[in-house]
Amino acid sequence: MTTTTTTLRSEEFSCPSCVNKIETKLRALDGVSDAEVKFSSGRILVDHDPEVAPIRSLVDAVAAVGYTTRPSAY
Amino acid sequence: MKNWIIVAVSAALIVASWVTGWDGLMLAAALVAGWRIAVSAFQALRIGVVSIDLLVVVAAVGALFIDNYWESAAVTFLFALGKALEKATLSRTRRALADLVESAPETATVLRDGSPVTVEIWELTPGDIVLVRNGEQVPVDGRVVSGHGGVDEASITGESIPAEKAADSEVFAGTWLRSGLLRVEAVGIGADSTLARIIHRVEDAQDDKARTQTFLEKFSRFYTPGVMVAALAVGLLTRDVALALTLLVIACPGALVISIPVSIVAGIGRSARDGVLIKGGEYLETAARVDTVVVDKTGTLTTGRPELTDVLVLDTRFSADEVLQLAARAETASEHPLAEAIIRGAQQRGLPVAVVDQARPVVGRGIIARVDGHDITVGAADLLTTDPRAPQLEQLNREGKTAMYVGVDGQPVGVVAVADTIRADAPGAITALHGRGIRVVMATGDAEPVARAVAESLGVDEVHAQLLPEDKLDLVASLQAQGRVVAMVGDGVNDTPALARADIGVAMGAAGSPAAIETADIALMADRLPRLVHALHLARRTVRTMRVNITIALLTVAVLLAGVLFGGVTMSLGMLVHEASVLVVIGIAMLLLRPTRAHTAPGTASTVSASGATSVYPASRTVTTPGASR
Repeated sequence: MTTTTTTLRSEEFSCPSCVNKIETKLRALDGVSDAEVKFSSGRILVDHDPEVAPIRSLVDAVAAVGYTTRPSAY
Repeated sequence: MKNWIIVAVSAALIVASWVTGWDGLMLAAALVAGWRIAVSAFQALRIGVVSIDLLVVVAAVGALFIDNYWESAAVTFLFALGKALEKATLSRTRRALADLVESAPETATVLRDGSPVTVEIWELTPGDIVLVRNGEQVPVDGRVVSGHGGVDEASITGESIPAEKAADSEVFAGTWLRSGLLRVEAVGIGADSTLARIIHRVEDAQDDKARTQTFLEKFSRFYTPGVMVAALAVGLLTRDVALALTLLVIACPGALVISIPVSIVAGIGRSARDGVLIKGGEYLETAARVDTVVVDKTGTLTTGRPELTDVLVLDTRFSADEVLQLAARAETASEHPLAEAIIRGAQQRGLPVAVVDQARPVVGRGIIARVDGHDITVGAADLLTTDPRAPQLEQLNREGKTAMYVGVDGQPVGVVAVADTIRADAPGAITALHGRGIRVVMATGDAEPVARAVAESLGVDEVHAQLLPEDKLDLVASLQAQGRVVAMVGDGVNDTPALARADIGVAMGAAGSPAAIETADIALMADRLPRLVHALHLARRTVRTMRVNITIALLTVAVLLAGVLFGGVTMSLGMLVHEASVLVVIGIAMLLLRPTRAHTAPGTASTVSASGATSVYPASRTVTTPGASR
């Protein structure tokens, strides 16, 4: 099981309560070991196993709680 | 975009309902605006989170139950409108950094077997030679191997005056070549480039929670459920459902919680654009309280490059030019930086300086050279056979310069003096610091007379000379014991303990140093003292903004509470005022994004390069290099 950290970026974080929502949703996914929302800079750092939880599934999960994100190279 | 459509439709339905008097349309408006909010509230509830959306939904549905369609529609509409506006303005606030991220280059023209090939950045390896044409972006951090041109380094240093680059110059990824052509050997690519480091550093800084922010977040976590309970209690006690619902609406902690993050994002983002990297919210707060700055002398206040300052004639058979020329020719055999200063001084006066064949340096004393059949000495009186007794030399040394006798065949004929020059931007920076009530302390390892002379001409408040690195640490500690908040400007090499001890450690000229970017509390990308003034000014403005925002947020809640308890404030009015307060808070933070002129005293415009003023005869603002032993 190889864990990698992916950075997702979003411009839609406007209310600090969304931090909890997104983190809880992502952490509940299979293959995700940790998720941290960086509210001020608009990033989500996700530690996950790409085989079990590919990037697409992360983006979809966050979309399900109402936020569009896209993966970022940096 | 979808958000705005929903808001517009809801508004249209409300207006239609007013016009036709038909309540059904109001209900429709509430549903249109409220649907998204309800979904979001539900999603949060499913994972056990009580969110602000839930408060709004309960309030809106509750209003429907008491047949108050207007209130229901107004609350949902206003909340949706407010959210849309918040998102737009917050994106604007994050824009300073987003632009930087987007400006990062994605392709480069690399020379493979001498032919230009366009590749993606990740295909490059260190050592590749890339071609940068006129008008293109420099794709990597690297060293110029050939070519020359002017590079706009604003994205890294915040300076918009193009920097001249030629062979062996350092260039940075993300900067723009405004003129010329460069071939660059790649050193730092992609995530290893200064640009990437800056971006990460700024993002981490923006996320780093100021103490006040952590407190507010903890506060709001209990606040929201607490409000629901309180509203429920009030409703049960007073049997006034409308009152309870209004309480729900006005108690949204929106403005309070967002006031600090948005100010920090704006403040740090703005300063990053100006080439100042601040490590985080807490450092912003500390930087705003700085009342003392400790600076090194050489390299920070002075250029570190000695220049010729005086030529005196002791034997009237010689002219000043002749004295200088003899000294310069003798010095051609020396590698001492003082020698370079004398030679340069002579060349600047148009005197030909031919190299000598025979010369003998005398350690700690000077040099003896054979010039045109005579023995020429430059240095201490010991090298002469006749005692010179020249009071002028003592005077020059007192002025902090390094004065040397010039002798011909053992006889003193003249004196030459050299000194380190003060950086042109230093006086203005110190005046500006004083203008902010900040005390300037010099801490240097150099000799006392030299240090004093610099300090006097610059207006430095306190001078500590002949310091060892441990002494600098003690100095910082003693200043702090006086109750001062100390910022220290250092080179990070032998100042490390003192820098760590200081409340704020500042690194200047950090553009080329990854370690400085990562660790300094404040990293000034450009090597210019006025930037420090700018940084402190920005920190104060940001802290002021945070305070104003918190006050507005608290006042709004207090006023609304009073209004509700004493009657007169309805749900819709409460929501309107609440959303307005959030937008006001964000708007005030956005004021920080306005570009400001760098805060220096007038007369020190940003076009000055590092070398500063040099004068050959006679200098009024020059000082000697450290313990120049000849």
